[in-house]
Amino acid sequence: MSLISARDLTKYYGDVHALDGLTLDVEPGIIGFVGANGSGKSTFLRTLLGLLRPTSGTASVLGFDVQTQAMEVRKLVGYMPEHDCLPLDVSGTEFVAHMGQMSGLPFIAARERAAEMLRHVGLHEERYRLIGTYSTGMKQRIKLAQALVHDPKLLLLDEPTNGLDPEGRDEMLELVQRTGRSFGIALLLTSHLLGEIERVCDELIAIDAGKLQYSGSVSAFTNRTEQLILETDDDVPELAARLRALGLEVTGAGLHLRVGVRDDGTYDMVRDVAADLGAPLTRMELSRHKLEELFTNQV
Amino acid sequence: MSSAIYDLGYQRYTGVRHGRAYSIRTLWWFSVRAAFGSGRGEQARRMPILVTALTFLPALVQIGVASASGALNFISYSNYLEFSALAIALFVAAQAPELIVNDKQNGTLSLYLSRPISAGDYALAKLAALTTATTVLTLGPMLVLFTARVFLPVSPWVAFKDEWTKLFPILGGSLLVSLFFGSVALALSSFAIKRAFATASVIAFFLLTPAMYGVAQSVTAGAVRRWSVLLNPVLVVSGYSKWLFEIEASHRSAVGRADLPGQAYLWAVLGVCAISTFVLLSRYRKNEA
Repeated sequence: MSLISARDLTKYYGDVHALDGLTLDVEPGIIGFVGANGSGKSTFLRTLLGLLRPTSGTASVLGFDVQTQAMEVRKLVGYMPEHDCLPLDVSGTEFVAHMGQMSGLPFIAARERAAEMLRHVGLHEERYRLIGTYSTGMKQRIKLAQALVHDPKLLLLDEPTNGLDPEGRDEMLELVQRTGRSFGIALLLTSHLLGEIERVCDELIAIDAGKLQYSGSVSAFTNRTEQLILETDDDVPELAARLRALGLEVTGAGLHLRVGVRDDGTYDMVRDVAADLGAPLTRMELSRHKLEELFTNQV
Repeated sequence: MSSAIYDLGYQRYTGVRHGRAYSIRTLWWFSVRAAFGSGRGEQARRMPILVTALTFLPALVQIGVASASGALNFISYSNYLEFSALAIALFVAAQAPELIVNDKQNGTLSLYLSRPISAGDYALAKLAALTTATTVLTLGPMLVLFTARVFLPVSPWVAFKDEWTKLFPILGGSLLVSLFFGSVALALSSFAIKRAFATASVIAFFLLTPAMYGVAQSVTAGAVRRWSVLLNPVLVVSGYSKWLFEIEASHRSAVGRADLPGQAYLWAVLGVCAISTFVLLSRYRKNEA
């Protein structure tokens, strides 16, 4: 049984196609859902929870249809929204316990789980303070605590590192990874930062303007997009031709070339060819992953 | 303050998980407490406490006067709901936004709807909560009066035997009047995105409707003029409570002059409750899958 599956899932807001014929199947694991801001990631999550009604198409979570069996889905899923969603005049522990009860936990169990989750996310000391007094980072962690309080089978995390400082980002990503690996909870996290997804996830779904761009393993994806930037002082036309002859993908022309990195041996190959041709190489650098590349380089 | 995120061994939860009814009840109780500012710091408690005191005050004054002068007929149930109408209106104008606009403003509504309850459940739980909270303000003072009417006379047991049937209209009346004010305030607040606007719109409603009644009184005549009494919520409550306690309205009062059948007020109250509830539910059900 797929963890999440969608068939032709479409959501229009007037002329805007937030989701456009999305079809995918996701197996349990740690899944990264990546796309630029406004590409449809949040819309997809909200549709899975039954918070939005799709214009057409179907989707299911853990075997339950998101439209007709929304209650069953919500019992098994924890949601950490991207946007602000916390009341400011309630204490951390009271809020998380309340959310636990809202998910069906009896009063005492809810309070115990809340305390555990708050310890888990490092807010044990601050748990009696009003949420309004928390920093952005602390608020992000409360959001995670309330998503975990009822021990869900699937966690939906929408931009979990939003607003965190670099240290906080690292910790959050580590926690996310641990939650997925050791706790047996499947995770779907969205991000507009490919680097985060690469670090933490096994599977990757890439979406742009509501359309599916890629669905598969992270490693296969990153191998395909790793590129070497070559810059020369003079135009050396044979350089591109020789590299292509060796089976490497080469794009660009003139003084700027990009070479697809196939494996570790690629670097040596490029160096050798350049040396052989006497090409005045001024720059040989691994390109930094940019999300736009995903969609412009015909991934 | 430690900022590290610890892993102290995550534990699965294998205990009982209750169903939808439990979640709705949880939200109801949480909201009733919120209506009285409980667990939310000083600021939130001030207004509810003030209003509660205002609604109980006349009852306590009446008892004081009655026990001092021995004139027990001073204590009247049917007038009470009218007297407290202003305080009740203020209470719901402040607390209806507290209950539903806060959740919209700070985004908590999304979290609630990610729990196993529907948007309709959420709205009904909030309506039940505000009605419950308001009932404390309508029922409480009347129970105080009832207790006084039973225990002040020389023979409480005789007094009780005479009075106990009044408990039905007391309970029914206070519940329905609470639902009346609560549902109107929530329906109006469901259109607001900011608390201040919601409060303003509820207050505006309770100011405009009597004004419309006043205008109707001057420009219309005959049956229309008489039935225009239903435009004024306070008069509707007044007419309803007189019908409930089977009391004739004085011919000088607005209700007396209108001379409508008592049930007209009952249907007016029920009608407003039904319409407001419908509006509230449709505002929340819009996006539901």
